[in-house]
Amino acid sequence: MKAFRVKIVAPAIATMMLLSACGESGGSEAASEASSEAATVQLPNGMTIKEQIEARQGQLEKVGDAFKAISDQLKAGSPNIAIIQEAAAAVPEATQGMADWWPEDSGPESGVETDALPAIWENMADFQEKVGNMQEAAANLNTAAQGGDMAAIGEAFKATGGTCKACHDDYRLDD
Amino acid sequence: MTSDTAQTLVWDWTIRLFHWLIVLLIPLMWWTAEEGMMDWHRRLGLTMFALVLFRLIWGIVGTWTARFVPMIRRLGSLPAYVRDLIARRNGPSFGHSPVGSLAVFALLAALSIQVGTGLFSVDVDGLESGPLAILVSFKTGREIADFHELNFDILVVLIALHIIAVAIYRFILKDDLVRPMVTGRRGDLEPVSTVKVNPMALIASVVIVAASLYAVINAG
Repeated sequence: MKAFRVKIVAPAIATMMLLSACGESGGSEAASEASSEAATVQLPNGMTIKEQIEARQGQLEKVGDAFKAISDQLKAGSPNIAIIQEAAAAVPEATQGMADWWPEDSGPESGVETDALPAIWENMADFQEKVGNMQEAAANLNTAAQGGDMAAIGEAFKATGGTCKACHDDYRLDD
Repeated sequence: MTSDTAQTLVWDWTIRLFHWLIVLLIPLMWWTAEEGMMDWHRRLGLTMFALVLFRLIWGIVGTWTARFVPMIRRLGSLPAYVRDLIARRNGPSFGHSPVGSLAVFALLAALSIQVGTGLFSVDVDGLESGPLAILVSFKTGREIADFHELNFDILVVLIALHIIAVAIYRFILKDDLVRPMVTGRRGDLEPVSTVKVNPMALIASVVIVAASLYAVINAG
């Protein structure tokens, strides 16, 4: 994606040609076929691929909500500790069982809209380790939040944010 | 009109300073966003916010060549102006030509949207956000951030068109538009109006900008 952006800012004419060439044709038929399959075929865990992808997106959106809530408070002149505590408690809850959210076949090849990159399934051990790191950091953040020490919360928040980024850098389509 | 002493002031110093600061800021803001230097992106973004807001106010209370209403009126002569350009019968304009007015409106609109969406944007981790993002949810902030990114591409295309147009003026129509944007003056026309910064208008604009900036920074 970075390479694409570099091209965009490079020579003016190339920019416009690049953009006008963006209208993609073909391939959409194959994708719609795959996505209808994704809505019916069941994964070993009983969910369809579509349900699985939407479920993990929903859970990660909850994490995003919680992180934004904490970030908003940390930026504020007088942070509201109750909001931070509630949000910090929501993260371990929302990420329970996270290691199982990316079963085989639930990647972009399914035709369902997802920013999960195929690299996840090519490096599953590393991916799982990073998920574990995130859960551990989130647990620490929750402990710090319930303790109420703002400095410790700030520190733990940064550490947890780092574990989000670690995964997103390698395994999520950068938009 | 051959000597430099007879040169006519076309662009006041605030317009020129605004223009070149934007030229400096846009690549810097792109770079800081690409590199994830969001602290700097926010600082530069607030600077951009102040600049764009100033320019919008200056379009109402500023010098004649900076004002929007005469520029809107000039759009009426756009077809005739373009016909003259194609026939190479172009003469110098005091202020923005009809085509130039169009460019100003397009670029300022894209810049305003860019700054406006930036204020509310949230990153994918919920870690980084614009100064007004506290007013929106994570999901809304993400949608705004996507639009922020899309609008940047539009802005880049507009800038490319702007540079191409200025190059066409310079090399085909033999009209150097860059020098006047630096010196503020050109020697080949009579002034339609005096381009003189009114200190009261300037102070009033700066006060409004400063107050808005203060409000945005302290919105959290």
